[in-house]
Amino acid sequence: MRYAHLFEGLTVRRVLAVTALCAVAPLLLVGYFLNTYNDLLLSALCVGYTSMVFFTVAGNVRQSRVPREAMQLGAIVVGSLLGTILAGFVKGRGLAEMLGERLYGVMITMALGIGFGCVVVAMFILREKHARDQARFHRAESERHRLEKNLLEAKLQLMQAQVEPHFLFNTLANVQHLVESDPPEASRMLESLIQYLRAALPQMRESSTSLKREVDMARAFLEIQRIRMGARLDFAIDVPESLQCRSFPPMMLISLVENAVKHGVDPCCETGTIAIRAAEAGGVLRVWVEDSGEGIKPKKGGGVGLSNIRDRLKALYGTSARLVIEEREPRGVVASIEVPAGIPA
Amino acid sequence: MSARAVRAVIADDEPLLRAQLRMRLARAWPELQVVHEMENGRDAGQVLTAHAPELFFLDIHMPGATGLEAAREIGSRAHVVFVTAFDQYAIEAFERGAIDYILKPFNEERLAITVARLKERLGERPPRIEELVESLAARLQTQPAEHLRWVKASVGSNVRLIPVEEVLFFQSDEKYTRVVTCDSEALIRKPIRELLDELDPAKFWQVHRATIVNVDHIATVRRGMKDQAEIELRDHAEKLVVSRAFTHLFKQM
Repeated sequence: MRYAHLFEGLTVRRVLAVTALCAVAPLLLVGYFLNTYNDLLLSALCVGYTSMVFFTVAGNVRQSRVPREAMQLGAIVVGSLLGTILAGFVKGRGLAEMLGERLYGVMITMALGIGFGCVVVAMFILREKHARDQARFHRAESERHRLEKNLLEAKLQLMQAQVEPHFLFNTLANVQHLVESDPPEASRMLESLIQYLRAALPQMRESSTSLKREVDMARAFLEIQRIRMGARLDFAIDVPESLQCRSFPPMMLISLVENAVKHGVDPCCETGTIAIRAAEAGGVLRVWVEDSGEGIKPKKGGGVGLSNIRDRLKALYGTSARLVIEEREPRGVVASIEVPAGIPA
Repeated sequence: MSARAVRAVIADDEPLLRAQLRMRLARAWPELQVVHEMENGRDAGQVLTAHAPELFFLDIHMPGATGLEAAREIGSRAHVVFVTAFDQYAIEAFERGAIDYILKPFNEERLAITVARLKERLGERPPRIEELVESLAARLQTQPAEHLRWVKASVGSNVRLIPVEEVLFFQSDEKYTRVVTCDSEALIRKPIRELLDELDPAKFWQVHRATIVNVDHIATVRRGMKDQAEIELRDHAEKLVVSRAFTHLFKQM
């Protein structure tokens, strides 16, 4: 039904409440009037039900010009007026009689209807507001829970093995070859692998680390990749000495560097460069990874590590940290992490 | 066992690992002649005609074209041995199927067994491996590239790459489309209509002629005026209008 929504909220409960009120109100008033209780009850029910229907409709009309509360109060006034007239008709009186000799009584009934109505409406609006506040509070709560859950998940992912078996075994296969063909290079590669594992194995990991530690880990990873990929990979690290002791959340830089190799340089078959840089400006520590790779294709995946970084940044710093991925000129990607400078991770 | 030369091709993107396999094979199988080396799985067909190898050693993970793609192209025209560092799925599949594989780092005994088996098989027709390759390809495929994952948007003089899961909503704004995330806003030229075709329909719903919303970021949907509805988002103050044609999306189940 097209207009069914207008009567939404007109529940049995509401009807019973109005009925109860209409039964009690004449009890309180019967001492002050000459009318019988039944006469007053009849008036009260007429005014009460009419006001109730108008009030319900006023609350459900979809419009935005007049505030809902004003509509509802207006409905009480109109409802009381029409209800009083209705009561008069039920009692067998004509309109002329009501507006003539009985005007005084009509006015009193109306005023009482409006008075009671306003009290009820005020209570109703307060209750509704309370429910809304309650809902807002619950929403904020569930949002907080969601964030906590995300953080927990992010931490869990962080704790789970970050060392890809693929990477480990391929590196070892390289070492296996170098041991025979180029022992000094083999030993360099092993050293890099050990340094990488020291930082990457979950058991070895600290909850907060310095930028230096993260850069060292990334360097070890890149050294290994440079040997593995031969002439295809070149890298540069440019992190000012003064920033190296800054605290920086763990395992984020390495994720960016891994992405730069895996999704940037590796897929395109010629040579590529990766650069790690850091700078501080205006209280923000920015650490970024540039690659000269093939760039990001709009439909390519690989956002899992990135959303993990985002979740953790949000949990650690709220809105004052961010991860930004941008295209690099003439080709490649720049991925940067910005955190408040000097706030311990 | 005849001592005739067997022609083989090695494909691996890592030069040291190609050298390593060549060296190991030279020891384990002196009659084997590595006639060509490939950095990726591309051009397997050309290599077949140019060098007429009987045997391919294919690394599964290679940039460009993978070992699986090469195997698909080779089909039954040569024997294929897969080389892999660590692929749980692949190893399981190889063990069930009749296909040879070598694990990196190489183990001398294991390589000797593979060589012995290959020597026996070389006399036979190469087995049909299409089915196995297809099932492997399906399992190793990390991300099906069917939906838009990144939005490229200009922010100042830079082109920012925004992962779609970060986007709260897209809204057309005269000539451009607004891309709104919880901490930034950007404009792109791609119209709503085109975005709708490319985005994952399970996550991105059109709620208005001009608006596509990421359902993951919806906090509440409230009924508004004239059969419309209004969406409140998490982490964002702006409210979105759901026009009448789309309110059915939010009807109670």
